[in-house]
Amino acid sequence: MGSLLRRLLFFFRRDRFDRDLQDELRFHEDMKAQALANDMSGDEARAAARRRLGNPLRLREQSRDAWTVLTVETFAQDVRHALRMMRRDPVFTVTALATLALGIGLNTAIFSVAYGVLWRPLPYPGSDRLVIVSSSQRAERGVRTFWTWAPVTYEAVRPRVAALEDLAAYSSIDAQLTGRGEPLQVRALDVSPNFFATLGVAPPRGRAFLAGTAAADDDRAAIVSDRLWRSSLNADPAIVGQSVTIDGVPRTIVGVLAPDFSFRPVVPRLGALPETDIFLLNRWPGDTGRSAFLFLLGRMKAGVTQERAQAELGALVNDPSIAPTGALAPEGTLAPNVRILVRLVGLQEYGTESVRPLLLILLGAVSFVLLIACVNVANLQTARLSARRGELSVRMALGAGRRRIVRQLLTEAVVLSLLGASLGVLLAWLAIGAALPLVPPFALPRVGGIVIDGRVMVFCLGLSLVATLLIGFVPALRAGGAAFDEGLALHAGDGRTTGDRQGERLRTLLVAAQIAMTLVLLVGAGLLIHSFVRLTSVSPGFESNGRGGVLQTVKVVLPERLYDGPERIHAFARGVLDRVRSLPGVTSASLINSAPFGMMFIQTDFDVEGQPKPALFAGTPKIDPGYFSTMGIPLLAGRDFTARDTAGAPSVAIVSERVVRECFRGSPGEALGRRVRLSDPGDWLTVVGVVADIHQRGLDRGLQPMIYVPFQQERGGFIRFVSFVARTPTPGSVAEGIRAEIRRAAPDLPIDSSVTMDEAVAASVAPPRFRMWLLAVFAITATLIATCGIYGLMAYAVTQRRRELGVRMALGAGRGDVLRLVLARALRVIAAGVVVGLAGAAGVTRVLRTFLFGVTPTDPIAFTIVTLLLIAVGLTAAWLPARRATRIDPCAALRAE
Amino acid sequence: MKAMKTKNRTELLPGTLEMLVLKTLSIGPMHGYGIAQHIQQLSADALTIEEGSLYPALQRMLVKRWVSAEWKISANNRRARFYTLTAAGKKQLGVEASRFSEMFGAIARVMKAT
Repeated sequence: MGSLLRRLLFFFRRDRFDRDLQDELRFHEDMKAQALANDMSGDEARAAARRRLGNPLRLREQSRDAWTVLTVETFAQDVRHALRMMRRDPVFTVTALATLALGIGLNTAIFSVAYGVLWRPLPYPGSDRLVIVSSSQRAERGVRTFWTWAPVTYEAVRPRVAALEDLAAYSSIDAQLTGRGEPLQVRALDVSPNFFATLGVAPPRGRAFLAGTAAADDDRAAIVSDRLWRSSLNADPAIVGQSVTIDGVPRTIVGVLAPDFSFRPVVPRLGALPETDIFLLNRWPGDTGRSAFLFLLGRMKAGVTQERAQAELGALVNDPSIAPTGALAPEGTLAPNVRILVRLVGLQEYGTESVRPLLLILLGAVSFVLLIACVNVANLQTARLSARRGELSVRMALGAGRRRIVRQLLTEAVVLSLLGASLGVLLAWLAIGAALPLVPPFALPRVGGIVIDGRVMVFCLGLSLVATLLIGFVPALRAGGAAFDEGLALHAGDGRTTGDRQGERLRTLLVAAQIAMTLVLLVGAGLLIHSFVRLTSVSPGFESNGRGGVLQTVKVVLPERLYDGPERIHAFARGVLDRVRSLPGVTSASLINSAPFGMMFIQTDFDVEGQPKPALFAGTPKIDPGYFSTMGIPLLAGRDFTARDTAGAPSVAIVSERVVRECFRGSPGEALGRRVRLSDPGDWLTVVGVVADIHQRGLDRGLQPMIYVPFQQERGGFIRFVSFVARTPTPGSVAEGIRAEIRRAAPDLPIDSSVTMDEAVAASVAPPRFRMWLLAVFAITATLIATCGIYGLMAYAVTQRRRELGVRMALGAGRGDVLRLVLARALRVIAAGVVVGLAGAAGVTRVLRTFLFGVTPTDPIAFTIVTLLLIAVGLTAAWLPARRATRIDPCAALRAE
Repeated sequence: MKAMKTKNRTELLPGTLEMLVLKTLSIGPMHGYGIAQHIQQLSADALTIEEGSLYPALQRMLVKRWVSAEWKISANNRRARFYTLTAAGKKQLGVEASRFSEMFGAIARVMKAT
């Protein structure tokens, strides 16, 4: 509308308007004076004229009002006024802004994490139609789900499924890149030719794999990630067409992916693997073997429901003429005659099942914190308003109108929340930057999606709106209430009218609510802390830090092409180990194929001679003699392996305590001399020793039964992993020494990892530690905010009651009595909040059950300590105002203001 | 309701003021003082507007584009703002005038009833 535009323009031309109006009024006055000069003297005429014209100020206001756009002009005025009032009360402003920034900032940070991991659309077109195919079968103990398939099944199903646009397969492997500088261990993905087509992604440099008949030439093709291209291939622009050696095989690079491309395969029970560096075309030729190691990624056709696709795939998979069933699943065999159920899981959802509950809990927790923060600021605002009641009443008397006052108060709330929200976004950005590197490695799948972008900002704005409503509405409504008519009288001194008493009750209630919510958070944090302490006090079973030093491990992965037989593996391992043993600083050294707290754990079922097959799975590590003494694992009976247990000697084994307990009636003596058989090799092994149990996989997992076999006697040749373990007081130099020896023996062999056992154990508890810290941060923030709340409440109460306290002191109350009075009042509020909080906590902490170790959700220790802590903090917060109360001069207080 | 009392001084409600101003300007462009004088004179002093309230009313009419304003030299060589009726203003005048006479007629009918 044209008039709207002109009104907006008026905003900028106000000064000229005022001058014009003034000229006009002066003209009118002059003319009038001139006309009246006939009847009265010049001065009188002028005075009369002025009177007739009316109040110039009011005229100016009214004339201006004709032009003002309510929303712009008065809003600007209100904003200016709000800023002025905030500047005048720095304590309130700083407290309120800090509180809001903390509350909104935390919420924004957690929301951006949750959104990035759970809900942000994947970076592939039409990603809502991408699915992972899983199979499940009913077994005696419920339903078993498998996530991988055999290549034969894939090849049979792919051309026949109509509900899917495309079905691709991939398999995650560790590969070794050589020939370009230092040999590198890279994360690789074997993929089918239509992998990128299914994702809907084409590399900007080069091309995707060819599907169809032309694809045969593509067999040695590889596509690299932008990351790998920059770090190891020198970002060579002419890289397309060049060759790199992967696992000893030359592959041609046909494409480089975009920098923002991301594909992190999720492996069940492990989590999200790191970003894939290189994609290798694979057709699994001649792999008619039935081992199931492929993940299937499908794109559903538009309009097709998941149920239909699942039904069709189910029919195909169970039809023996189409797909050979009875494929070997990783955990065991698919039962041949039991129907296989196919289930499709959205790619977005896949892999987030483990973090989803935690993230949702966190979202709930931060909402609590924000609520506390808003309640606190609302409280402060209400108190401040009570103090300003006089001023507001005067303004109303001068014609401001109730609605104008309410609008102004709401504007103040808006300004406060927007400022607080801006600070909050900054805080969130800093927090995410600081916290992301600390996240445990496989925990969060789409870490790259955690950014503060438009959608997150919109959420943040929404939060600040909620904050505004909470902060502005409640006090503003009260300000517009009947209490205002008493405002002028109240302005003269303190007062305890009904309106004020109501306000006080409300404020007290709000503070008690804060305390309750803070207690819930504190209890949660306390539970996690207690649980973490319990967890880390569990002894792993070996001596990670002992008299001879700490345990340093260096792990290598032996590729099949170089080490194709047991003799070569043993020769390499023995050679390196002998040299490692003579390194300076090494107290003792040994090796094992799967070190404790490593990523790997091989377990299998086993037989005991002369007994029914135990319903147990045992770990089957291959070790060198001296492993137990190096690791500090006590030998309980029999003997350790020796150099005489060679490949030709009788096959022996050492079992752990748990095996003895389960199979030999707990008597180590009975186990010695008996024979066991691991299903893999099939030889009977004689038990020659019993060792103590250790935690092989994690401090919170039970003690695994173990059957140790000498390295030299391992004939299957399946030892691809070797971890050298050395006890040394100087781990750094010894690690370097071991790496040098490995390089000497095998120049092309990349080092997989080198950590101390302490580091490995610490890494294994990284997730609970992270969770503990997170909830602790929330709880501390909430406590800080609640402390401000108590302080504000008591400070204001003391100010309001100055007269009453003055009277008491004049009547003989001592300092101590006054102190006790104030503190008792504070204690009543705190106690009320604590009681409600305890009840709430008892109910709410149930959700933490899955994260607790050795601690119940109603753990009395945590509850007690936290409650006492909060009461102490609360009383401390009330201490300062209480002390100020004792300093009240009775005479000054009794004097009317 | 537009009430008029027969007394020396009569008070106007803001709605009628605008109608009177529009009518005055339909004669020709005038400055504020002139408008005030015109109304007072023609109504034989029965209608006295508080002269100040003329100016906010004029601003309101400027916003609604019923009048336009221009600084000119007045009859006695002084600078004054002259207001002119616009086409929209003329139309509005007609609307207000008919509404007023309707109401006036209705009141008269009520008063005439015995």
